[in-house]
Amino acid sequence: MKTRPMLTLDDCRRISTAAEAEAKKNNWNVCIAILDDGGHLLHLVRMDGASPANARIAVEKGRTAAESRRSSLVWEDRIKAGRNSMLGMPGITPVQGGLPIIVEGICVGGVGVSGVQSHEDEQIAAAGIKVLG
Amino acid sequence: MKSHIRMAAGGILAGLALAVGAQQPSALDVVPDKMPNDIPYGTPISLERAQAAIAAAVGESKKRDWKLNVAVVDSGGRLVAFARMDGAQLGSIAISEHKARAAAMYRRETKAFEAGVQAGNHYLLTLDDVIASRGGIPILDGGRLVGAIGCSGATGSQDEVICRAGADAVKR
Repeated sequence: MKTRPMLTLDDCRRISTAAEAEAKKNNWNVCIAILDDGGHLLHLVRMDGASPANARIAVEKGRTAAESRRSSLVWEDRIKAGRNSMLGMPGITPVQGGLPIIVEGICVGGVGVSGVQSHEDEQIAAAGIKVLG
Repeated sequence: MKSHIRMAAGGILAGLALAVGAQQPSALDVVPDKMPNDIPYGTPISLERAQAAIAAAVGESKKRDWKLNVAVVDSGGRLVAFARMDGAQLGSIAISEHKARAAAMYRRETKAFEAGVQAGNHYLLTLDDVIASRGGIPILDGGRLVGAIGCSGATGSQDEVICRAGADAVKR
């Protein structure tokens, strides 16, 4: 039987705290969502000033990254390159700001951020994932 | 033969009318002077307070070795913070948020819906986005509703104990 690493609530708190610190440092108010490899929500924080829409979008970006095991930017870029049919992919939110969490070469989940410019959202997600080393 | 059938049908109709007329006045027909749950909505809950509620709920749950999902929504019923404890049931992720949302949107504990349905008021299940299961509690600040907490993953009674621990930790 194969075994694989799995995110704990403690891991999620560390990721989220680091991501929030990155946002605070830049005076950004965002929502940070963490999902497991099945696309199920593990942890969410919506900073004061972030909108209800940010909460929904952060979860969907995170889901896109967790379930497809790649950055949501990859999907955005494909569409930008003219692959318009990708817009119809079920359950995919093709907007930068969602990153997969890869541990020991395995995707264990995803982080989605929404609230500022998309590349800044991704910067926050990356800062969060970085704490896992 | 034909007229017999007609007579029998007429008899049934008359019987029905009698039954309706003889019904006792329903408790739902009572018109109280004041409306219940007249709680004003306040400023949406801060993340700090939402996280304090979740920390208290998760702490209480850990003490009892229960694994729950805990969600806090703002006064608009939208998610502010969420935590899934290690080993918590996946189906309860959405339920915890639903309980919190229903508690905020209807300004009452979700236990009220559960009790209503148990008492036979099944019409409650036709109200929009209701969840008739305990474990959703409004969070007040100076008499104003600022958010709500919802817990799910164990029995309704267990969910409620944890939910209460979270709500009590941040009530003002």
